[in-house]
Amino acid sequence: MIYNWKKIVKLGLFLLTVTIMIEVFAGQILQSKQESLLLLPIFLISIPVINSVSGNIGSVLGARLASGLHVGYITLSLKDKEMHDNLLISLLIGVFTYTFLAILIYFIASFGNLTEDIALSKFIAIFVLTGVLLVATVSLISVLTAFLSFKRGLDPDDTVAPIVTTVGDVMGIVFLFLVLGLFGVGI
Amino acid sequence: MYAKEMVKQSLPLIVFCGLGAIVAGSTLGVMTDLLREIPGLIVVIPAIIAMRGNISTAFGSRLGSAYHLGVIDADNLWNEELKQNVIGTLVLSFFVASIIGLLAYTTSILLHIYPDPVKLVSIVLLAGIISGLILTLMTIGVIYLVFKRGYDPDNITGPALATFGDIVTMICIFGSAIVVEVIL
Repeated sequence: MIYNWKKIVKLGLFLLTVTIMIEVFAGQILQSKQESLLLLPIFLISIPVINSVSGNIGSVLGARLASGLHVGYITLSLKDKEMHDNLLISLLIGVFTYTFLAILIYFIASFGNLTEDIALSKFIAIFVLTGVLLVATVSLISVLTAFLSFKRGLDPDDTVAPIVTTVGDVMGIVFLFLVLGLFGVGI
Repeated sequence: MYAKEMVKQSLPLIVFCGLGAIVAGSTLGVMTDLLREIPGLIVVIPAIIAMRGNISTAFGSRLGSAYHLGVIDADNLWNEELKQNVIGTLVLSFFVASIIGLLAYTTSILLHIYPDPVKLVSIVLLAGIISGLILTLMTIGVIYLVFKRGYDPDNITGPALATFGDIVTMICIFGSAIVVEVIL
C-alpha cells in the first residue's frame, strides 16, 4: 500500500494552512471594500475571472519552464531566450483572453442591468489593465519560483502552481482596486 | 512556428477555464443580499475556493501517479489505495475548513467587524465538505472515463477540476449560506 490517509492529511495541512492564511488576508481586503463592490456587482463577478485566468497562465508557464529545465532546453539564466519567448507569449495570451472575457462579462452583466453605472470602454480598460498587470506579475513569480526551485533540487511542478495561484489571488484584488482608483471609479 | 504551437495548445483551454470562472463569478454576483446580511461571508470565499482547488488537484494528480504506478486502473478502481485517498481528502477538507472559519472570525474581530461565529464556521464547514464530496466523486468519474479511453490522466484532470471545481464550490457556498441563514 502506498497511500495512507493520515499521511495525506499531515502533508497537506501545512501547505494549506499557509495558503488559507494568505487567502483570508485577500478576503479581508474584499470585506473592507464590500460596500463599493455591492454597488458595482460587475466587479464582484470579475474577481474570480481575473484570478482564475492569471492562475492558469502562470501554472501553464511554470509547467513549461519545469519541463524545459528538466530536459535541458531552458538554462538557469535570466537571459535565456527560450524563457523570454515563453514570458512574452504568456503576456499575449493574457491580453487576448482578458479582452475577450471583458466583453463577454459586460454583455452578460447587461442582462442583469448591472452595467448602467459603467461604460463598456471603461470596463474593458479597467479589466484588461488589471489583467495585464496581474499576468506580468504572476509570470515573473512563475519564472523566479521555477528557477529557484530547480536550483535547490525541488521539482518546479510541485511548487509553482500553489505559489502562483495564492499570490495571484491577493495581487489580483490589490491591482483591481488600484486600477479602479486610477480610473476614478467610486471604490 | 514554436510560438504559434504554444498559443494554439494553451489558449483554448485558458479561455475555456475563463468561461467557467464567469459562471463562478456570476454566482458571486447574485449573492449580494447574502453578503450584506452575513458579515464575514466575503472573507471566507477566496479561502474556500483555494482550499478546494488545492485539495482536489492534488487528489487528481495522486490518482494520475497511482495509475502510472499501476496500483489503480479502470477494472480495479475502488480499492484500498483509492479509499485511503478519499478519506485523506475529506478529513483534510474538514480540518482546513474549520481553520478558515476560525481565522476569518478572529481577523474580522481584530478589524472591528463582528460576524456570528457559529454561522460563519457552519457555512464554511458545510460548503467545504459538500463541495469536497461532489468533487471527489467527480474526480473519480473523470479518472474512470480517462482510464477507459486510455488517455494520460495528468493532461486531463487538472484543467477539468480547475474549471468545474470553482463553479461547484461557489454554488456550494451559496447554498450553504442560504441553508445556514434559514436554520440559524
